Order: sequence, then structure tokens, then C-alpha cells
Amino acid sequence: MTSLVDRYVFTALRRVPEKQRADIDRELRASIEDAVDARVDAGEPRDAAVEATLLELGDPDRLADRYADRASYLIGPELFPAWRRLMTMLLSMVLPLVVIVLVVLRSLDAPSAGSVIGGMVSSVITVGVHIAFWVTAVFAVLERTGVTAGGLRGGPWSLKNLPRYEPRGLTVTQLGAAIVWPVLMITALVLQQFTFGDEPVLAPANWSFWWPYLIVVMALDALYAVWVYRLGTWTHTVTVVNAALALAFAVPVIWLASTDRFFNPAFFDFGAGADEALRWAGFGVVLTFAVFLVWDIAEVAVRAERLRRGLPLKVPGTGV
Amino acid sequence: MVCDMTMDATLAGHLQELRRGTVVVASLTVLREPGYGYSLLEMLSAAGFEVEANTLYPLLRRLESQGLLASEWNTDEARPRKFYRTTEQGEAIAETLRTEWTRLDRAITDLDTPGSPR
Repeated sequence: MTSLVDRYVFTALRRVPEKQRADIDRELRASIEDAVDARVDAGEPRDAAVEATLLELGDPDRLADRYADRASYLIGPELFPAWRRLMTMLLSMVLPLVVIVLVVLRSLDAPSAGSVIGGMVSSVITVGVHIAFWVTAVFAVLERTGVTAGGLRGGPWSLKNLPRYEPRGLTVTQLGAAIVWPVLMITALVLQQFTFGDEPVLAPANWSFWWPYLIVVMALDALYAVWVYRLGTWTHTVTVVNAALALAFAVPVIWLASTDRFFNPAFFDFGAGADEALRWAGFGVVLTFAVFLVWDIAEVAVRAERLRRGLPLKVPGTGV
Repeated sequence: MVCDMTMDATLAGHLQELRRGTVVVASLTVLREPGYGYSLLEMLSAAGFEVEANTLYPLLRRLESQGLLASEWNTDEARPRKFYRTTEQGEAIAETLRTEWTRLDRAITDLDTPGSPR
């Protein structure tokens, strides 16, 4: 039968690197015996002395961690901020995008409210867990290979790393988004005609004029973003150009949707309730683009007007 | 008003942080005369250092791997023991740490003395 001391020492040694085991085994046993002897000399019975000594040494797993001098954390304070930034970005921006794409693709096979909601829930969980797991796994490996935050950034932190909070003009990120978004929309518009299922989602008759027209307007939107970025400020000219572009895009879309010429009826031809679904989809498009139109025009106009009057602009996300 | 238990925990945390490095200085100083784990533990607690066995034993091995302590097994007695001794390098580092300790002590005393130049 193994004694209490054996059980303690074995448990601690299990988690210590193998080449140190023999030496730590001898040393730890000698130290325990020394302590037990001291207690026995002071008048304690032997069994009680062993128990008290081992209790004082505490959890053998923690002792093993200290012997092995290893980090008892997955991601340390050095890399944690980078981990949190990346996780926030991926979960708040990439996750919704991926989920939307997956749900659209899946609902094209079997369009029903149940399958869309079920598909959304399962994609959020699956994709979210994958993102969280792989990011954390990579950071845990980086932590153990001695990569520092400076190493990730490509140099020690300096004043150049401070973001610019210019309320004027577009930031590089905003410019990027303003260019990527039309490109994505154009791609989606072309792909829905050929790729998803047998029938296109949007009315194919509009390829004679309206869809190419919208593609041109979206391309102009990207050019407009470049122009505003280089201008570096918001003027009334910008307000006018922005309003013209927004109207040029939203008005035809709203008109097409409200006259049932936006979606392809053949795509919605899945039996009972198809007409109803088509009407609701059309209504959704009208509402979305109407809100977008008003908000977009007003937002740019307010910015330009505040700048003209010399009023301070808000710096997004700082509360200032 | 912060409740007493939180205050006790706060104090315990700060005390632990303040004492963290002192065991290293004390060990390197004491081990100019060779000693083994348990003897050092006894000596340090007798001298007023609150150190636990599960901190001290791994610490000795770490200081050895850093080259500040050297070790040797003594098998002359019935119970074989691993004896540690401060190396020259360890002594040099201990000297620097003791100087730093004195400097900090003086600096804190100066801050605490009213009317002293800051």
C-alpha cells in the first residue's frame, strides 16, 4: 500500500518534466521527512505530523507548476489585449458577415422561415465556436513560443501607433469599407443571377436596364468615397453629391420594389404563402432603402453644416 | 465605506507584493553557508521572513538553474540531502539587491519624514 507521502510525491511528480523527476523526488521526500521529524520532536504523533506537513505544502498540482516554472494561464497579460481586440473584431464583424452569407446560401435551397432561423442559430454557434477556438489556440501557442506584443506589432509601441481621431474627412478604414461595400454588392448582384439555385433571386427582366444602372451607381459610390477621402473635409458640395448618389440608388430600388418588379416571382414560387412572402420582401426592401436614404442624406448634411458653422464634430466611440 | 474583509484582502495582496522579492535576497545571503531546503526554511522563518515551503523549494531550483546557486547531494548522513550554496555570481547579484533594498528603505523614510527635501 502506498503511504500518504508516496501519494503526495507521485501526484506532484506526474506534472513535472521527466528529467527533473528523480532529483525532485529525492529532495522533496527529504524535505518532507525533515519537517515531519521536526514536528515529532516537538511532541506531535507521527501520523498527525505527516498530515500537517503535507497540508502545509498544499495542492501538489500547484507545487508541480512552481517546480516546472510554467505559466498557469492560457494567454498572459502581454498578449491578452491583442487577443481581445482580434476576438471583438472577428465576432462583431466577420461572424455576422459569414452567418449572413451562409444563411442566404442555405435558405436558397429550402426557403422557409423555420430553416432560415434554424440555419442562423446553428451557423452563429458553429462559426462563433470555430473563431473563438482557433484564435485562442493560436494565441496560446504564441504565448508559449515567447512572442511578445511588440513582436506581433512589428516593433515596440511608439507614438506612431496612436490612432488619428480626425473628425474631418474619412479615415482609411472608412474609405476601405466604402470601397469594399459596393464591390460586395455588385458581386452579389451578379452572382444571384447565375450561382444560387435554378432561379435568380431578383427579377431578371431588369438586366435590360435597371441592374446595370445600379452597378454604375455603386461604382460611382466608390469613386465618391475616394474623392471625399482626398478632399479631407465635408462641404456642401459633398452634401449635394452624396444626396444625388443616394437618390440615384434608392429611388429606383424603392420604385421597383413597390411595383413588384424587384424580386423574381419564379424564385418565390414555392406554393402556399408565396405571394405573401413576395409582398413582405418587397415591403422590407422599400422600408430599408427609405430609412437608408433619409439617414445617409441627413448625416452628411449635418456634418457639413456643423463644419461650416465651426461647431465641433463628435469623435466616434470616444464620447467626446 | 469599504468593508473590512475587502480591506484585509487588499492589505494581504499588497504585503505579498512587497515581500515577493525579499526571499530571493535572504536566501542568497543565508546560503553563503551551504544549507538544504528545510534548514533554510527554518532559518528564514526564525529571521522573520514569512515564506512557505511550496514557494521556497521551487525557488531554490530556479535560482540554481539561473546559476546563482550551486547544489551538491550530501549522502554522508542517513538522510541524503541536497545542499545549496551561493555562487560568486549569486553573491554579486545579492549584493546589488541589498544595495537597492537600502536605497529604497532610505527613499521611503525620506518621503515619510515631514519637511524633508523631495
